[in-house]
Amino acid sequence: MKRTKVHLIKRMLGTGIALTLAMGMTVGLSGCGGASDGDVVVLRVANWEEYIDEGDWDEEDGIEFSDGTILCPESSLVEDFETWYYETYGQKVKVEYSTFGTNEELYNQITIGDVYDLVCPSEYMIMKMLREGMLEPYSEGFHDKDKEENYYENGVSPFIAQVYDGLAIDGHKLNEYAAGYMWGTLGIVYNPEEVTEEQASSWKILMDKSLDKRITIKDSVRDAFFAAVSIQYYDEITAEDFLEKENYSDALYACLNRTDQETVDATEEILSAIKRNVYSFETDSGKADMVTGKVVANQQWSGDAVYTMDQAEEDEVELCYAVPTESTNLWFDGWVMLKKGISEDSRKQQAAEAFVNFVSMPENAVRNMTYIGYTSVISGGDSDVILEFVEDTYGADPEEEDPEDLVEYDVTYFFGEDKEAVILTTEDQTRRQLYAQYPSQDVVDRSAVMACFDNEGNERINRMWTNVRCFDLQNWLHETFDK
Amino acid sequence: MKQKHGFQRKQLAIPYAIFLLLFVILPLLVVIFYAFTNEDGHFSLENYVAFFRSGKTVGTLLYSIVIALVTTVICLLIAYPTAYVLSKTGLKSGDALLLLFVLPMWINFTLRITALKEILTLIEGNLAFHPFANTIICMVYDFLPFMIMPLYNTLTKLDDSFIEAAQDLGAKKHHVFLKVILPLSVPGIVSGVTMVFLPSMTNYVVLDMVYNSTFIMGSLIGSYFSAYDWHNGSVISIILLLIICLITALSSRYTEGETDGRVGAMK
Repeated sequence: MKRTKVHLIKRMLGTGIALTLAMGMTVGLSGCGGASDGDVVVLRVANWEEYIDEGDWDEEDGIEFSDGTILCPESSLVEDFETWYYETYGQKVKVEYSTFGTNEELYNQITIGDVYDLVCPSEYMIMKMLREGMLEPYSEGFHDKDKEENYYENGVSPFIAQVYDGLAIDGHKLNEYAAGYMWGTLGIVYNPEEVTEEQASSWKILMDKSLDKRITIKDSVRDAFFAAVSIQYYDEITAEDFLEKENYSDALYACLNRTDQETVDATEEILSAIKRNVYSFETDSGKADMVTGKVVANQQWSGDAVYTMDQAEEDEVELCYAVPTESTNLWFDGWVMLKKGISEDSRKQQAAEAFVNFVSMPENAVRNMTYIGYTSVISGGDSDVILEFVEDTYGADPEEEDPEDLVEYDVTYFFGEDKEAVILTTEDQTRRQLYAQYPSQDVVDRSAVMACFDNEGNERINRMWTNVRCFDLQNWLHETFDK
Repeated sequence: MKQKHGFQRKQLAIPYAIFLLLFVILPLLVVIFYAFTNEDGHFSLENYVAFFRSGKTVGTLLYSIVIALVTTVICLLIAYPTAYVLSKTGLKSGDALLLLFVLPMWINFTLRITALKEILTLIEGNLAFHPFANTIICMVYDFLPFMIMPLYNTLTKLDDSFIEAAQDLGAKKHHVFLKVILPLSVPGIVSGVTMVFLPSMTNYVVLDMVYNSTFIMGSLIGSYFSAYDWHNGSVISIILLLIICLITALSSRYTEGETDGRVGAMK
């Protein structure tokens, strides 16, 4: 039976519980819209803010491909999906698109009662949701490489596929439940006039006394914790016998995902020292402060680093991006379907999977990358559109540039062996946007995914974070009265 | 004319009663529930014990109180003379001048703090070296109108004949102020203090904006909630609530003493 909004409210008023009414109204509203009524399928999608192409490009931003087609969309990707879906599947779909600011915000929304069909959290939140049984697996047809419309399965980078393949929670493989969207590394954006590349190539820069109050760190427990753990185990993970280990990747993953009391206590010390040294724990001010020169280095995700460098360029400031030589956090955001939303409605699931495939079409991946600055997990499969886009954006013409300034930049690991993914580019790009958007092989080698910690570990880390951020009375008394 | 539809005046209060129930009383009950239970849903006070046992959280409570106290005192010191002068300039021009002080409130708060931040950066160079001072400056800037308004209201209502009487009876200027004007303006001071002290204990947006990385009580609640720790977040809210109750209780004693003060002034 289809319940209308009015019925729902009346029923609830009858019970007389006002709180249920207040909370139920939001559920009621979205619940009602969510029912696939008649011939229109409603797909409720939640994504990060400003994380998809919203169209309306300027003509000069258009991209011309070698076959002469020009990409300069006026409508948003979501609108285009609705059109495309009707044309391809003969079924009307209405996307209810909403956004969230943090993984925790999304999770809280869902637990309070908001219902979505398809959401795009980060890897650790995907793992948490998977562990809590919230996710619906993708259908077998989604992974069928023979179907042309399976753009995700056919286009995903072999490197990303291999990372997904290696991750599992409680026996459930991640790639059965999640399809990648964007990925990247965690590093340091720096001003080369003030900071050397060598300085910026270690997380220890956050504690560097010579940059007192001129460096920022992310106001995020996990990013700060990752840097602190890397500093704590710097000697161990950069030792030669560690680097030469046969299972180096696994060992690095294990080391950087330690949450035992000893490790967490050590990170508390490190982060307290960092707190005394940094300009701020920033959420969004870091990019602007880099351009104005208030800070000379900041911890940044690779996609935001690209954006920061682009912005700085417009103000004629040159900024670079470095990935610490000891380790970097390999992160990715991915599409997952929620059991509660899909609720065994096969038409909804088909629309959700089609949405993932649609945003994975190489042309659409390029649209997103151009619009938001992050890197799509799609390498294009048989299509050369993505590689062409990268070459177009970062490649250099040997006839125009001084050949001595040019270097060959190898991203074969991402595009796969059957493509010649060696880009001839200017030397500075190996420290700048290209390096941030498509890190080199050695960066990927020293990257580790940061898993979803167990409850005990999370509790320890959260307590540590509160301790770091709270006013340190003892230290203050000590400093004030012992002088 | 008699009401035809059995409409009663008290029914006008129904919208507010519903509002009160939905957005004040029920949330409060939820907060109380979480504050006195542990993860298993059993009654528990362990979170309170943990709060007062940890030097870090107590440190943050004290830090918040110090910020609130300093902000309030500075606001009072600036607002009192201002409000006094405004109230004595004759009603019409006083209103116009008052507008000048209230006008900033019409501009978005983050916009104002951002502007102030840039000015402070010009003066100090690097804001991060003076997090406490910058926090206080921005807090005072933000909350000053809330102190001026109630003081102005009280002082304009102050009956000049009391002052004249005191002067006629030979009181010196500072005696007139201390024994007559100040006691009579206590209600204004009390409501100004309550409007400034409590919000400045939790207004962590200001701290974020001036790069003060230390938590105050408000940021602590936010931090617990984003880690799904409803219990500890609620505990902080209850502690703040108790502080509010304490201040209200104290201030109501003073406002009740208002009539006595007036009698005392007349003696």
